Amino acid sequence: MAVFVALWWALAAWISNPALLPTPLAVLKALAALAGDLELFLHAGISLARMLLSLALATLLAVPLGLAMGLNRLLDHIVDPVIEILRPISGIAWIPLALFILGVGNALPVFIMTYAAFFPILLGTVAGVRSVDKRFVDAARTMGVPRARIVAKVVVPAALPSLLVALRLGVASSWTAVVAAELIGAPSGLGYAIEWYRELLLTPQVMTFIAAIGLLGYFFDRGLRAMGQRFAPWAAEARIS
Amino acid sequence: MSAVSHASRGLALPAARSIALPIALLVVWQIAGTAGGNPRTPVPTRVLAAAMQLVESGDLPLALLQSLGRVFAGFAIAAGLAIPLGLAMGAFASVERNVDPLIESFRPIAAIAILPLAILWLGTGTPAAILIVAYAAFFPIVVNTAAGAKRINPTLLRAAATMGLTRLKIISTVIVPGALPAIGVGLRIAMGVAWTAIVAAELAVGAKAGGGGSGGIGQMMFVFYAYSIELNRIVVCMIAVGLVALALDRALRAGMRRAMPWMSA
Repeated sequence: MAVFVALWWALAAWISNPALLPTPLAVLKALAALAGDLELFLHAGISLARMLLSLALATLLAVPLGLAMGLNRLLDHIVDPVIEILRPISGIAWIPLALFILGVGNALPVFIMTYAAFFPILLGTVAGVRSVDKRFVDAARTMGVPRARIVAKVVVPAALPSLLVALRLGVASSWTAVVAAELIGAPSGLGYAIEWYRELLLTPQVMTFIAAIGLLGYFFDRGLRAMGQRFAPWAAEARIS
Repeated sequence: MSAVSHASRGLALPAARSIALPIALLVVWQIAGTAGGNPRTPVPTRVLAAAMQLVESGDLPLALLQSLGRVFAGFAIAAGLAIPLGLAMGAFASVERNVDPLIESFRPIAAIAILPLAILWLGTGTPAAILIVAYAAFFPIVVNTAAGAKRINPTLLRAAATMGLTRLKIISTVIVPGALPAIGVGLRIAMGVAWTAIVAAELAVGAKAGGGGSGGIGQMMFVFYAYSIELNRIVVCMIAVGLVALALDRALRAGMRRAMPWMSA
């Protein structure tokens, strides 16, 4: 890490063009300035709020549908083809059409991010429900537990670890999409700020915002991981790549 | 017992069941779109006509080929860097200690976020797009390769060491074959990410370069959005993007099965 910073510094000193490659010190100064006048937090807050809203929307849509698809084979047969047709079309490919329909504003990034987060969460929920140990379900049924209670007390807790991994995948893919969506079609947010400062050739500021995107993505993942350990301690640490 | 009855019922009319909802949705889309009365509203029949036009004129295949060329170039660069690095990280703890923090600090930064820097350094042409693809594809490959190389059965490594194999020989005869399935998974994830990244990169370059053509499917979509406002053609592009993503994934899966018949992936 230290070697990397030293190399960066040497290269920046050699190029000596702050618009092309600023020194680490210049980036730190830009960071301090942007944090000082709260601009950094404003854009980060906007992006985060959009992210949370989209995540909530995607979860509300995908988890019930995933539970139903995992439990009911007929529904799975009917809905799955539509999912498999839409899934390969990445959220980003929807941007031009969505831009036309929704215009520049909050709706576009939220739509794109919800779409991007929807598929990982849905597939994770279905896989989680399918992987529930049949013996637990049979045991509950033998003891005369009604179906709704079996779902609430057996299926959902057993599917939770897989659901949490799916949630992390959903966050990762929608966080990638937010940058693209804001870069092209939003008047605010981290992606917009990056593009704004690029046009002004203020590279230190560009790098600051890029770092902010990385850091927020990292902490989001950490937070979800911690949440997983808190709410589903029975889940073995599942790794995603 | 219940599984058997499920299976027999599932066999009844599986094809009809699978296509029922897609066809119903297409019909609803067609009726709703035509009812609006606006001839620009995309509906399935118009999308189909637009698709025929774009394929016949050669615009769509050309754009797809341009994008695919960039994806393969970036992907090859990423694989060329990430596989050796991942193997080294898996085989030598000292390499991993030094490189891993660096990788983990760049991994959360989405490829698209690098795009402004790429445009700044390389302009709005093909090199910037290739850089984005290579960046996006690098991380899944390196992480999976390193994980695969580390997960090798230690008994095999000790056996090889006992028989006096050199470090390099152990890497080439034990670690590489053992890590191959994980490398394959990494390559497959990376290909999906790379294809998404190229569309995003070309879209953004199109949006920011004012249509000054560097080509590709993403750019084509942006031109249809911003200049000629042809929604039917945008939908054609979206479907093409999805089909290519599907085809790439299937091709890689088939390739993996050929390369590793002992794995049932």
